[in-house]
Amino acid sequence: MRRFFAATAAAVIIAMGLGSALASDPVRIGFSIAQTGLFSQAAPSQMTAYELWRDDVNAAGGLNVAGEQRMVEFVFYDDESDPSKTAQIYEKLITDDQVDLLIAPWGTPSHLALAGVLEAHQFPMVGNTAASVAIREVAPGNIWFPTSAIPDHIGPNLAALAKQSGVTKVAVIANLLPFAQENLQFLVPALDAEGIEIVVNESYPPDIADMTTLLVEIKESGADGVIALSYPADSFLYQGQATELGVDAPFQFLLVGPTISAFADAFGEGSSGLVTLGHWSPHQDAWPRARPFYDAYVERFGMRPDYLDTALAYMSLEILEQAVAEVGLDHDKLREVISSGTFETINGPVHFTGVENDTTPTAFLQLQDGEMHLVWPASIATADYMPR
Amino acid sequence: MNRTATILPLLLVLGFGIAFPSWAGSYTLIVGLLLCQWIALTASWTLCGGLAGYISLGHVVFFGIGGYTSMLLWQVVPLWIAVPAGGLAAGLFALLIGAPVLRVRGPYFVILTLGIAELVKYLVLLSEKELGKSSRLIFGVPSNETLYWALLALATLAIVILLIVRETRLGHGLIALRDDETAAATVGVPVARYKLAAFTLSAIIPGMVGALMVLRSAYFDVTQLFNAEISFAIVTMAIIGGRDDPRGAVLGAGLLLLISEFLWARAPQIYLILLGVLLIGFVLFLPRGLAGLLSRRGKAS
Amino acid sequence: MDHIFSGQLLFSALVLGSLYMVAALGLNLVYGTLRLLNVAHGDLAMLGAFTAFWCFTLLGLSPLLSLPLAAGLCALAAWLVHAGLLTRGPLAARAFDGEVLQRLEANSLLIFIGLSVILQNVAALAFTGSPRAYRYLDGVIEFAGVSMTGHRLAALTIAAVIGLAALAILHFSRYGLAIKAMIESPMAAEVVGIDVRRFRLGALMTGFALAGVAGGLISMSEQISPFMGFPVTIASFIVIILGGLGNLRGGMAAAFMLAFVQVYGVALTSPSYASVLLYGVFVGALLLRPEGLLARRVASR
Repeated sequence: MRRFFAATAAAVIIAMGLGSALASDPVRIGFSIAQTGLFSQAAPSQMTAYELWRDDVNAAGGLNVAGEQRMVEFVFYDDESDPSKTAQIYEKLITDDQVDLLIAPWGTPSHLALAGVLEAHQFPMVGNTAASVAIREVAPGNIWFPTSAIPDHIGPNLAALAKQSGVTKVAVIANLLPFAQENLQFLVPALDAEGIEIVVNESYPPDIADMTTLLVEIKESGADGVIALSYPADSFLYQGQATELGVDAPFQFLLVGPTISAFADAFGEGSSGLVTLGHWSPHQDAWPRARPFYDAYVERFGMRPDYLDTALAYMSLEILEQAVAEVGLDHDKLREVISSGTFETINGPVHFTGVENDTTPTAFLQLQDGEMHLVWPASIATADYMPR
Repeated sequence: MNRTATILPLLLVLGFGIAFPSWAGSYTLIVGLLLCQWIALTASWTLCGGLAGYISLGHVVFFGIGGYTSMLLWQVVPLWIAVPAGGLAAGLFALLIGAPVLRVRGPYFVILTLGIAELVKYLVLLSEKELGKSSRLIFGVPSNETLYWALLALATLAIVILLIVRETRLGHGLIALRDDETAAATVGVPVARYKLAAFTLSAIIPGMVGALMVLRSAYFDVTQLFNAEISFAIVTMAIIGGRDDPRGAVLGAGLLLLISEFLWARAPQIYLILLGVLLIGFVLFLPRGLAGLLSRRGKAS
Repeated sequence: MDHIFSGQLLFSALVLGSLYMVAALGLNLVYGTLRLLNVAHGDLAMLGAFTAFWCFTLLGLSPLLSLPLAAGLCALAAWLVHAGLLTRGPLAARAFDGEVLQRLEANSLLIFIGLSVILQNVAALAFTGSPRAYRYLDGVIEFAGVSMTGHRLAALTIAAVIGLAALAILHFSRYGLAIKAMIESPMAAEVVGIDVRRFRLGALMTGFALAGVAGGLISMSEQISPFMGFPVTIASFIVIILGGLGNLRGGMAAAFMLAFVQVYGVALTSPSYASVLLYGVFVGALLLRPEGLLARRVASR
């Protein structure tokens, strides 16, 4: 009896050994994410997209690597919202952990900090949550930026949207941080070009605690449009205090904030009509992947995806996935495919010229009845703009 | 104060540091240059916080001023002018505000320095707006190896200055005023002048370190450059290593960095929590710092 | 510009000031009785904010009702810190001579830095970094030409109640007298028969609890996230320094002063200068009066 069991056990063990030798190694994808520090508020919206993608891919049998199915494994570390630590981590991922693929950290500073590392090792990576005119100065070939929310496009488009929406006098307030100021620099001349009068132009520090004076100024100026180039914290402050003071301009734009689910939790229908930055919506029927992604995300996480960051993060993975399916893991081949191919994403087709996405237009979202709709440009709009 | 016990290990560490790049991989080199950065910052801080006993919780302001100077001079002057210019700017700033600032004592001084760092941070933000600069990109920076040598030199310089100052009348005077400022003044120590000297000296090298390190991030970010966490890290390393001892900067920076490096890759979710626990453990079990642990073996101090 | 005399501006300044006041009162209690700089103060407020959020979201409990729970949790944290850290090792000695005290103060900084790191990262691990928020009492009330959001009025009211209660206790009750005596001179208090040890624990628990309450009040109008604490910490420190460390009533007045400077200063100049005004006034005031604007003589050594 004992010999029988021993033999069976031996057989099982040998079979398992054989089995694991036959199964392919997982594809290791490395990245850093801001789990702590200044960016840790925004990073989860990207991390959830990464997790959703990985789990869906693995559930379907693995990533298609030029015909071979292999499971996906993440190798990631906390970059503590420190861009130079990000560069350090990616150096480690490439040289030490020797990952097969890389995906992006959160935020413009982090992307730019690791551009040099990618260049030095000739390791291609599709970026996502980076938006600054500075990205054009990065040497192309190892990094690509799928977002269309670049300040020098945002300015003229926003001015055009405001004009179309009937704004004649606009109040512009801006955070002193770089992205907001960059937008301000391109917005002001664009507004002038559209013949819109700028009646208020104020900047404020990122830790501002009270906007009463600012909002009273806006009310008294008689502006029929308010453009707040704000970050989440000050968007919050703005919305709360603007409601309190009864700022009722029909056109109100907040740069970053309304796409965050906490914003909707705090302000509900009071925030209806707000316009914000974003180029994705699940309501766009021309993008068949959009709705399924949205539904899967809501089912898994119990909240809406961030229409900007989560969408971008997922797009970057879709692009990578399609490129790898075509040419496998070789860096040079991947570089070639990503630089020249057109990819189907939840945001429609994406194609790169240099480092920039030349297909997706710069767009804006509006909160309507608890839903976010694209209201600009007309080519991808899912609803018409409605004044508040 | 046993000089051999202090200087010999430091020389050994320096020797190791010189040999380091010849065998270190590209990633380990980064760790090395970070270690040099923290040693330089902590040793400089010790001049003011350790010797004089004026604990600054805003030391990042000098780092930041040096970094901003370097930023403004980027591609206007070559780096070997920009970096000392950063140190000079930081030193001048310390000299300018030192006299009134150092009249403030104890915990008031601690929080005052924190406030000054924040004030300068927001002033620089305003300055950037006035200059119309919203996205500065820095490309073409020196290689990690060059940075390493520069930082090693600065770290060595900081420790050498600390060692020298300790032996001079300035150093003795600072230690005297740390223990009892009024008594020191009574016996003729030029307290105000000495404090200002320590304060100014403690600013110069951090200014140069900042001028170099700002180049590593590719995208200039004022909030990162003047991040209060840097000040807190310096104070932590100084206290862990032992504020009274020139070896303290090396020990504190070394231990904290090594532990971080060991933990963040292996326990990514909880490594910062472990670090926090470690800090508390230190205070409870090693109140005199690591250097104090070593000194106990030698002569009683 | 004529709106500077408006009730609206006054309301905003009062709301801001009252939040500062509650937070700063807690910090001042901790410093006054223990001479410890609690740089984890804002992180305790963060705990209070999350408590309010989870009670509201999971239990539908009004944040005003969950304030006692927030206070209780933070008081428990204080008890743990006291039992685990402050009653053993070098800090238990609490000798009151110069050098030891100084080293203890520096080391205690490290304890609270460690505590801060632990609190922030445990919260990040438990809740992720995603910001949270909720809607409560967000209707706008019009009264005498002033528009007031419900939860801001509620925060102001509760803070006012706390403030008045604090003033009453300090002025009228034996406890208040004992606390003031302890802050003024612990040695004298002990001589007079006050059980310093027990009062210290009580003050620590109350101080932490007030931070939690401040956090709960803040949570009604701001995003809640693990790293939201630092601005609360630094604002609280500025307030208690301006009011004079250990001067509880001075701190309460300074809280409103600071809020008025921020709100009215911006009205007189420009919103760009909001932070520069805040820190500028702080630094300037301290340089002019190194013991704090409203300080009376409080023994710090």
